[in-house]
Amino acid sequence: MSEIFPQQLITLATGAGAKAVELRKEEFMVEVDQQNLKKLISQLVNELNVHHLSTITGLDLGQNIGIIYHFSFDRETVHVKTLVPKSNPSAISIVEIIPGAILYEMEIHDMLGVIFSGNPWMDRKLLLPDTWPADLPPPLLKTSKPSEIRKRLQLEVEQK
Amino acid sequence: MTETSTTPARREESAGLMQYSVENLVPFGPIHPALKEPEYFKLVLEGEKIAQVIPRIGYVHRGLEKAAEMRPWVQNMYMFERTCGICSFVHSLCYGQAVEELTIYQVPRRAKYIRVIIAELERIHSHLLWVGLMGHWAGFETLFMWVWRDREIILDLVEEISGNRVHKSMNAICGVRRDMPENMESRIVEKMKFIEGRARYYREIIDTEQTMLERTEKIGRITADTAEKLCAVGPMARYVGLRHDVRLNDPYAAYDEIPFDIVTRKEGDVHALLRLRLDELVVSANIVSYAVQHLPEGPVRVKIPPIIPAGEHASHCEAPRGEIYYFVRSTGGRTPDRVKSRQPTMANLPTALEILKGQTIADVPMVLTAIDPCFGCMDRMAFLDTETNRQWTWSGEELRKYGINYYRKRKK
Repeated sequence: MSEIFPQQLITLATGAGAKAVELRKEEFMVEVDQQNLKKLISQLVNELNVHHLSTITGLDLGQNIGIIYHFSFDRETVHVKTLVPKSNPSAISIVEIIPGAILYEMEIHDMLGVIFSGNPWMDRKLLLPDTWPADLPPPLLKTSKPSEIRKRLQLEVEQK
Repeated sequence: MTETSTTPARREESAGLMQYSVENLVPFGPIHPALKEPEYFKLVLEGEKIAQVIPRIGYVHRGLEKAAEMRPWVQNMYMFERTCGICSFVHSLCYGQAVEELTIYQVPRRAKYIRVIIAELERIHSHLLWVGLMGHWAGFETLFMWVWRDREIILDLVEEISGNRVHKSMNAICGVRRDMPENMESRIVEKMKFIEGRARYYREIIDTEQTMLERTEKIGRITADTAEKLCAVGPMARYVGLRHDVRLNDPYAAYDEIPFDIVTRKEGDVHALLRLRLDELVVSANIVSYAVQHLPEGPVRVKIPPIIPAGEHASHCEAPRGEIYYFVRSTGGRTPDRVKSRQPTMANLPTALEILKGQTIADVPMVLTAIDPCFGCMDRMAFLDTETNRQWTWSGEELRKYGINYYRKRKK
């Protein structure tokens, strides 16, 4: 099965308007835009039987925020990469297709401020403290400095 | 047991509970002097059964990913080792492998074998610790004492090899920091035989001892389909029959040169998890013996420059609790641009919440311990009965006693 897997993946990616690149042996990167993301992932799950989502990584890439979905299947690894603009950080949730993605999406929401439409727990916090001020930028952005966050949180405590 | 009066609820907490038409919630936070590790599960009850579980994690989140962006590559390795106090080595191994792929250097073969030895010793000590905890929560203290005595043997071996009991600090980028001490081979093999014998003995106990059977059989059930959908990893995937083990699926270090097979079970209950982990002890002990006897000669480390070339790489390893995942991005500097780390408990949490639904309160400690959560025990829990609207909180010890008494009464 694994011999024909790369070919299937490339066909599938082309269908979704994306391109699959072989990074290393048995490791693929598919870059796809937001509109086609859900279609591509549901095809990956239903047609290629790639069920295991290892995790989702959020990256601060300057103008954009990169979101990488890491899938593993037997010996193959598939990374699906998509970009959302920093000015309007909203992405499409894949919880409907993969229910196990719910906490990973919450984590990226906490850390980078990306809003996943369709995730039922988007109104809750997962990792950040309850006292986190709403106007403070998400901590993993390159512009957030730990010393400033510390100062601000200290101020919040003192005010109470 | 503390009854709580009506107090204004916190906004976040009430959001998910609105559907249960409850206006007031338990005011006790998870941070409390009595807690060992702060985690919080809000259980919504219907009589004796659990209807809904709402998790709240992050109380011990220390921002390691942000901190990693300000530290040199080598320093990060020892920082990530401090993520966990039980499976510490595998974190540095996984981070190291991701970084090594970005460089042009190769890890020496001897170092790969030493990595396997330490990783498997760590798995044995983590599984033993877990079996002991299961005994504790079931009210079978003798098992707890026995198992933790055997665990000392492993910790002594680890100390002799690495110099430390818990945070081994053995890994370096492209190698290991210490060579194996001389003349240890026969001693390690002998001790692995002892561990194997003990594992078989404990296996016999859990299959025959009524205390354990009653508390574990047909409890915490889940189907393979659900586990796969919720992306369960490690023992939580293997106990329903999924062949999910990174050591076999995507071999790293020297696992492709060592003959072994993984253990899977089909029953999918807490008892299957106990059997599975005890069988894995035997497999791990055999891997250690094989690796020690076939240890190749040669150097253990390659020195590398402090600057790592630009690029991205992801790496995964099989920790005692399941797959761990590291993603590293370099822009060619002295510090990483981004390090992402995902621990197995995070991946298993959705599965655990699914398993808890429909269980009785008496089974909560067993089921929550069964997933081997990295936050140890869930010392304080809030209860909410939707039939009577009564709310109360229990400490872990009270919950444990409730579970033991519940089964004692049922027996009579």
